[in-house]
Amino acid sequence: MGERRKGLTDTQVGILLIIPGLAIFIAVILFPFVDAIRMSFTDKSMLMPDWDYIGLNNYRDVFNDPYFLKTVGTTAAFVLASTALPFILGLIWALLLNQGFKGSEFLRGVTLVNWIIPGTAIGFLWSWIFNGQYGVLNGIIKMLGGEGNTAWLGQTSTALICVVIARTWQMLPWYMAFLLGGLQGVELDQIEAARIDGAGNWKCFTKIVVPSMKNIIYLILAMGLVGNLQHFDLPWTMVQGGPARATTTLSLEVYNTAFKNWDMGKAATIGTVWALLLACFSIVYLKQVKDSD
Amino acid sequence: MFQKTKGFRAFFWVSIVLIGIFVFFPLLWMINTALKPTSDTFSMAFFTGPKTMDNFIHIVTDSKIMGYLKNSLFVSFCSSLMATIVCSFAGYSFAKFRYRGRKFVMGLFMMSQAFPQAILLLSIYEIMRRLGLLGSYWSLLISYTVFTLPVGTWTLKSYFDQIPDALIESAKIDGAGHFQIMRKIVFPLAVPGMITIAIYGFVWSWNDLLYSMTLVTDNARRTLASGLVMTFLGMGSTNWGYMMAASVVAAIPVTIIFIFLQRYFIQGLTSGAVKG
Repeated sequence: MGERRKGLTDTQVGILLIIPGLAIFIAVILFPFVDAIRMSFTDKSMLMPDWDYIGLNNYRDVFNDPYFLKTVGTTAAFVLASTALPFILGLIWALLLNQGFKGSEFLRGVTLVNWIIPGTAIGFLWSWIFNGQYGVLNGIIKMLGGEGNTAWLGQTSTALICVVIARTWQMLPWYMAFLLGGLQGVELDQIEAARIDGAGNWKCFTKIVVPSMKNIIYLILAMGLVGNLQHFDLPWTMVQGGPARATTTLSLEVYNTAFKNWDMGKAATIGTVWALLLACFSIVYLKQVKDSD
Repeated sequence: MFQKTKGFRAFFWVSIVLIGIFVFFPLLWMINTALKPTSDTFSMAFFTGPKTMDNFIHIVTDSKIMGYLKNSLFVSFCSSLMATIVCSFAGYSFAKFRYRGRKFVMGLFMMSQAFPQAILLLSIYEIMRRLGLLGSYWSLLISYTVFTLPVGTWTLKSYFDQIPDALIESAKIDGAGHFQIMRKIVFPLAVPGMITIAIYGFVWSWNDLLYSMTLVTDNARRTLASGLVMTFLGMGSTNWGYMMAASVVAAIPVTIIFIFLQRYFIQGLTSGAVKG
């Protein structure tokens, strides 16, 4: 153990091995993060060469901005709905495929294709499906005798729901994959024993299956929430945050403020406030990771 | 797992049909639209009408889009390689070495995906602009590598954990150095895990839109995801046939990789989490 070879101790080798990861972590996460917080106290803009520290002015502007609260609300609605929906559908889908009927292996593989393909392609696909004039959704409604002329992505009342549906479609396979993994760990003996005691399917599910998958359910819900809080691709490719900001989440708001209006100071401020909100989720997530170590 | 009672049967069939349609129909509709001649784009025919490869031919002969495709292949290949190396080193270090700060660094890596990406971009963009590197792929490569750290180190750590310490100790007694042990014993045993992370890294960078859209400002150097957005979202009238064909083309490489390496991928990604 303590023997020295090539002059490096075990500890030194261990530290040497994490240096590449740590270095890039500092370069593209830690430093930019701290720098962005600093930027939030400035009036930096890409349109002007000079900038100054302006204290908390940006924060005052952001909190006085009537749109900001709406953006936070939109984000919360998007994050909750697009975590809960694919989780529930993914769970049902995993339970069905876990029954092991003919072709279930095949279905499992094909389902995952939805998750693996680029968000850009998924965004294009769903804006085509929801297209107000020629989309297949309206087409089907017409065939069923409805009017079928709803501009699903063009009105504020339905645009966010459409994005959530697209996100659900994209993420369902991901939840399914993890839950199928979790289902392998459920003790079938316990279910048999409960059956003998007269428990039905529902009771077995709520009393045995769900409790024994508790850890993995927490883990994927935490990961799902954090992922959705970050999510950018679908609201951007489908509706660019519109109509009338109906699908503008924090992620899009920071992007637009910084790279459309070039107001780096304000973008950094929104980002910092968002990071504080995110810290709450991260604590839950970290605790989960620690518990499972 | 469940008894096939009447209630369960009903639930089974209703769910499998409804969720099945939801899961499988959209992708089929994408392919269906891509295969229709332009005059039929708006028809409701589902693989029944006339078919043509015109839309695909239009996409694969578009030199700009094929340029984006090449860029994407290059970037994804490089970041996949980087991710595998960096995560293997870190995963091995976390599994088999003990030093102060180990848990802390593990915690940091686990949080990599939790920092708001849009705000990180502000500074990365500024730094790259000042360094004159906005056209280069370096910022993309290291960013993508960082985002594979949580899943990557976690998955590989669980592979390295399974290697018995005695194996490493006996190699040491035989006089093998640290790097010989890694190359000859430890890493070969973790190859399935490394393949998982290589695919994961590839898919992540292939699919990323936000970073590539922001950090690559030179149009000719764009990757496929952002290139397609720039190509199609700016247009006044939309040609849905082209868009669906382009989407299929963008989906094909990752789908092929996935089909061939599926086994590694699903097991590898979920095993770390499931064991916990």
